Amino acid sequence: MATVQFKGIVKKFGDNLVLNGVDVDIKDHEFVVIVGPSGCGKTTLLRMLAGLEEVTDGEIFIDNLLVNELHPSKREIAMVFQDYALYPHMTVEENMNFALRLRKMAKTEILSRVTEAANILQLGKFLKRMPKQLSGGQRQRVAIGRAIVRKPKVFLFDEPLSNLDAKLREEMRVEIAKLYQRLNATIIYVTHDQVEAMTLAGRIVIMNHGIVQQVGSPIEVYRKPVNLFVAGFIGSPTMNFLSGRLSIADGVAVFSNESLTLPIPAFVLPQKEAADGREVVLGIRPDDVMVERPGGEKCSGKIDGVLEVCELLGHRENLYLKVGGQRLLATVEAFFNRSPGSAVSLCFNYQNMHVFDKTTERRISE
Amino acid sequence: MDILKSIYEVSWFILLIAAGVAALEGYFYSHFKFYARPWFFPAALSVFPALALAVFGTLLGGYSFKLWLYFLLAEAAIAAFFRFAVKGRHTVPYLLLAPAFVGLALLLVYPFVFEVYLSFHDLKLTTIMMWKNTGTLPFVGISQYIKVFTTSPLSEITFWALLGRTLVWTFSNVFFHVLGGFLLALMLNNHIRFKGVYRTLLVIPWAMPQVVAVLAMRGEFHSQNGFVNIIIAKLLAVFPFLAHLGVAPVQWLSDYPLLTCTLINIWLGIPFMMVVILGGLQSISSSYYDAADIDGASYSQKLRFITLPLVRPVMMPAVTLGTVWTFNNINVIYLVTGQSGGTEQADILVSALYKAAFTYNRYSYSAAFAIVVFAMLFFFSVFYLKSFDAAKDER
Repeated sequence: MATVQFKGIVKKFGDNLVLNGVDVDIKDHEFVVIVGPSGCGKTTLLRMLAGLEEVTDGEIFIDNLLVNELHPSKREIAMVFQDYALYPHMTVEENMNFALRLRKMAKTEILSRVTEAANILQLGKFLKRMPKQLSGGQRQRVAIGRAIVRKPKVFLFDEPLSNLDAKLREEMRVEIAKLYQRLNATIIYVTHDQVEAMTLAGRIVIMNHGIVQQVGSPIEVYRKPVNLFVAGFIGSPTMNFLSGRLSIADGVAVFSNESLTLPIPAFVLPQKEAADGREVVLGIRPDDVMVERPGGEKCSGKIDGVLEVCELLGHRENLYLKVGGQRLLATVEAFFNRSPGSAVSLCFNYQNMHVFDKTTERRISE
Repeated sequence: MDILKSIYEVSWFILLIAAGVAALEGYFYSHFKFYARPWFFPAALSVFPALALAVFGTLLGGYSFKLWLYFLLAEAAIAAFFRFAVKGRHTVPYLLLAPAFVGLALLLVYPFVFEVYLSFHDLKLTTIMMWKNTGTLPFVGISQYIKVFTTSPLSEITFWALLGRTLVWTFSNVFFHVLGGFLLALMLNNHIRFKGVYRTLLVIPWAMPQVVAVLAMRGEFHSQNGFVNIIIAKLLAVFPFLAHLGVAPVQWLSDYPLLTCTLINIWLGIPFMMVVILGGLQSISSSYYDAADIDGASYSQKLRFITLPLVRPVMMPAVTLGTVWTFNNINVIYLVTGQSGGTEQADILVSALYKAAFTYNRYSYSAAFAIVVFAMLFFFSVFYLKSFDAAKDER
């Protein structure tokens, strides 16, 4: 098991800058999920760690060993590919022990490792099958088994669940979580699915446009997103954003736009950030928009709105509201028995309110 | 005005074909329409043979009872087929398939049946006038087939020696086609500049008419003016030690005719294999190579464990085709050695067959010979494709 460090990683494909100075430290035994929208460079970063892409600039260390010029097979990593990359002409067993055979390992050792991995992944009865005779989930397990038998220092997962259907994806997600507990390995996992990121990660690395936006535990990035991108990317449904302008009245910051006016208490926005006339964006998660409920002391005053659409999800309900010209999404307990078009009163939970500067897009609230 | 005349003639030809197709469709349509009527059989058996006899008799310049009998039998079979098997179902598919089917029957089935007929009779230079005058030939049973294996199709070489030479020829050609094609495809599969230019240049021998390509190459093997000997002479002038190794200009066409043919045919056949294998290589997902890189496979191990097994499915049909084409390749042998009293040292089965038929005028013998060659290739192809299917099912 090992630590991994990225130092100032830059990657260019021709003139196209894909990664622009990525610095991440990954500790031993850590499960790190790199998440970001398509084309943010997360897979490229993983492939560079695996040695499948050249590093344009910067340094990659595995266990404090500079690996920039090291051949992929010498880096003691194992990778699970998005399309599994199982060799179609080899049986499951041959697929799993291919790397060991290439290393000319003793037959008994190969057998014991494959058997062990097959037991962990419940692949015992499929060992003699061909990959095309397996279902998607089984192929996924074989791909993971192929990684396990090599006993690598670092496991790399490149969007491993994106080719599975929703139900299987949930099952495999739990399997991977269990596997992590069992192997206690360093795992770097790339995905574009923020649910996978939130559920699996010890730490999340959020990337956009080739730049690391935030590194932190799932709850950190959820509760304290450092900028607008992270706030919008993490959390489902997406956070409500309200743009407006700050003013100071009687020493209290007040947010206002055409649709609503809202005092911002000092425990949300520190005094030094509250400048008169500053353009800001308020971020409130749908869960923190309280509809037809008595607000507590840490809530805003009542605001009048109109219910536009209700979406029943089962145990929760999405309410699409309109306050003046401002659209808001609120998530409440089912059942919210109001018909669309009716007037509702709502308030915001100040405890989970985020304030961002409009120009720098950085977080300015506590 | 000549061009107008040509257009006029071509239009007539097209119209003639259209009329033929229309007549054909009408013929089949009537069978679909009236198959259940009580008068179907009598009408079909009287009208169509009479019509056919009128048309064909006029074209062939004579009526005969035998011809009429053939038409009658054919019509009876077709009418029974429509009455008891087709029963008026699937009208449109049958009608759409009919022209192609009849065309194939005329161009493939009829010659094949005629060849089988010839192979059991004795048509040669001494009996051809008898056939023309009486329309009959002496029936000789399987003696033509016995002769295929016991007598020489040419002046001296036996069937078995020819067969051996053909196998050597086929194997060496296909081996070098695959080897050369594979190497070139591997090179072209890299990211290199001017890939399209190289590919175009490499495909030229295959793309140009074989006769032109072979005759051009034949000129290059000329003992005095061909570039092969000229280059050997120049090399000898620069590196005199080569002479001690036995390198010298030779009379390619008269002393080494089979080698010359083989070299030319290898040059001709590599592009096809290259194109097929390149297609196969490009269809291999790059993630297999990524996975193999991480697994620690060297270049040769990737070639052996990934590239070769994954290219096999596209290569096998190409190798089968290439084998049949090479085995049957009369063009190269005939064009290089066959003209104006050429040598027999380079003859393979099919070129010997051609000479037996059209130089020595042993038609029935050649028909039997052709059927033997056909049987060999047929069983080879069936066996090969079966074994390939079996290998595929294992996966």
